[in-house]
Amino acid sequence: MKEVNVKATNQNQKQTNSSLYRTIWRWHLYAGIILAPFLFILAVTGSIYLFKPQIEQVIYQDYYEVTPQGEKIAASAQIEHVKNLYPDAIIKKYRPGENTMRSSEVSIASNNESLTVFIDPYTGESIGELNNDDKIMNKIEEIHGELMAGTLGDRIVELAACWAIVLIVTGLYLWFPKKKQGLSGLLYPRLNKGKKILRRDLHAVPAFWVTAGMLFLILTGLPWSGFWGSNFQSIATNSGAGYPPSIWSGDAPTSKIKTKDIAEVPWAAENLDVPLSKIQGYISLSIDDVILIANREGLHPSYTVSIPQDTDGVYTLSAYPPKAQDEVTMHIDQYSGAVLADYRYENYGLIGKMVAWGITLHTGTQFGFINQLVSLLVCLGIILVTVSGFYLWWKRKPEKGMGAPKAPSIKNVKFSLFLLIGLGILFPLVGLSLIVVWLIDWLIIQRIAVVKNFLNA
Amino acid sequence: MKKNICMSLIFILSLLLSACSLKQDVANLYKQEIPLESEIIIPESISVNKNETIKVILTQNGKKVEGADFVHFEIGKQDGSVKFNMEQAEEEGNGRYSLSKNFDSEGLYYIKVHASNAGSIIMPQKQFVIGELSEGEIKFLQKGLPKQQESHQKHH
Repeated sequence: MKEVNVKATNQNQKQTNSSLYRTIWRWHLYAGIILAPFLFILAVTGSIYLFKPQIEQVIYQDYYEVTPQGEKIAASAQIEHVKNLYPDAIIKKYRPGENTMRSSEVSIASNNESLTVFIDPYTGESIGELNNDDKIMNKIEEIHGELMAGTLGDRIVELAACWAIVLIVTGLYLWFPKKKQGLSGLLYPRLNKGKKILRRDLHAVPAFWVTAGMLFLILTGLPWSGFWGSNFQSIATNSGAGYPPSIWSGDAPTSKIKTKDIAEVPWAAENLDVPLSKIQGYISLSIDDVILIANREGLHPSYTVSIPQDTDGVYTLSAYPPKAQDEVTMHIDQYSGAVLADYRYENYGLIGKMVAWGITLHTGTQFGFINQLVSLLVCLGIILVTVSGFYLWWKRKPEKGMGAPKAPSIKNVKFSLFLLIGLGILFPLVGLSLIVVWLIDWLIIQRIAVVKNFLNA
Repeated sequence: MKKNICMSLIFILSLLLSACSLKQDVANLYKQEIPLESEIIIPESISVNKNETIKVILTQNGKKVEGADFVHFEIGKQDGSVKFNMEQAEEEGNGRYSLSKNFDSEGLYYIKVHASNAGSIIMPQKQFVIGELSEGEIKFLQKGLPKQQESHQKHH
């Protein structure tokens, strides 16, 4: 095994002797080994999550489908029914259902749990409830977005995504032909040149093919990451080119009313404990009026109504249908019914539009089944590349040590130093991780001979 | 070299700590609505079988609304036992629109103003009391109790 490695190294030195090549190889190897498990998880969960619409349609069919019969019952009556079933619950959202065959949904908070109650809008009866934490797709999304580890997980995923860009750039450099060799080994694998060559080609060739798709998934996924994404969105919104406020970040407008003008509600059960004068005042619009406004303003029928929870809150109608162009976020004054903000796709800034398209393309809804299929191929490609890359290293590495090329002093490779600093500024988490790597190198690896030899540092 | 690394470390950390927040008036950079605003004025005390005048003052973009597209008053009892026909309010000028009404029974009433001007449509409603409330009306008031306030009440 050691011999193989020496041979490979010799061969490589013939190919190019520059310290740049070795540095980049070294970075690609270490970053790849650390990142492979994360990229693997992201690609596997992503492949499943892509088909969320179809999967949920099958497993929740009984909750979703209703038989149309006559007129639909008023939304207020449906919500009243839910209130009777869950007397202690807070009503959070109402979703009317996008067509005549679709049940309506009432989202409630009850005993610190988020439940969705499905209602047959023709009978007004509850079809069943789902705890949002129990939804399998929510779990998949949680793994994909934060490894089920909350904020820390979110940052790790973000870091993995940023570092994957480093992998792509270094990988492309290593893949790029150093001499004329035809297209074999570049665009298609060399099947009859021995196992070593085949192993290399099974990593490098598919990696090249998925590069564009992978980069696209990273760039479209990053804007919704917790740290880089939030800041990116805020900067975009502040510049006027992003999403209007309240869609991604920022507060919704408030209902314009003085608290003293709102009709008070008596507490006590038997007698009226509030002076009559306080009962007089403005009262909130009923949800039925809000539905009327929604119909008048022409929203995509898959919209959801968020119920105001404070005296100055607003009714927020939002729809995130499969196609980005159909998105809408509308805020309605809960007392006057005035439309306080009406943001459609056309009202997004250029960056906002791009991010919106990015999201629907990333989740595979924008172009339907074809979109899902292409994204699935990219995911499967990423899985193949992570596995073959790991296998390649495993077969090549000597018994002792990592098998990484010797690290040249960073001072000799100014170019990559600048590249890393640049990346570190563009993606502060990468910068932070670089500092950590540098500290580990400086404090541990360089001082302990065994580790230094193992890592060939 | 070390100095450079220290500098970039400080720079990156400061970036990390200063998460960007949104500007206060950022909504002005995007599409804006000019919502109609209203103030419904109901006489301090209303007697039965007497002509009472209910008014609404409409403003939009800080200006009083003259010649609104429509201003309709919808008046009735909260328990549904009385419901007047929707009527057009009379324009008095200076943003005021009014309607005179003769109520012939005591109880809990609502008025809903339907108004529209320059693309904004509103339907504010105000609740008011004439005379005394019936048992049923008190029950109605208590039923409308928002749930989150009820649970607060239990803790006290």
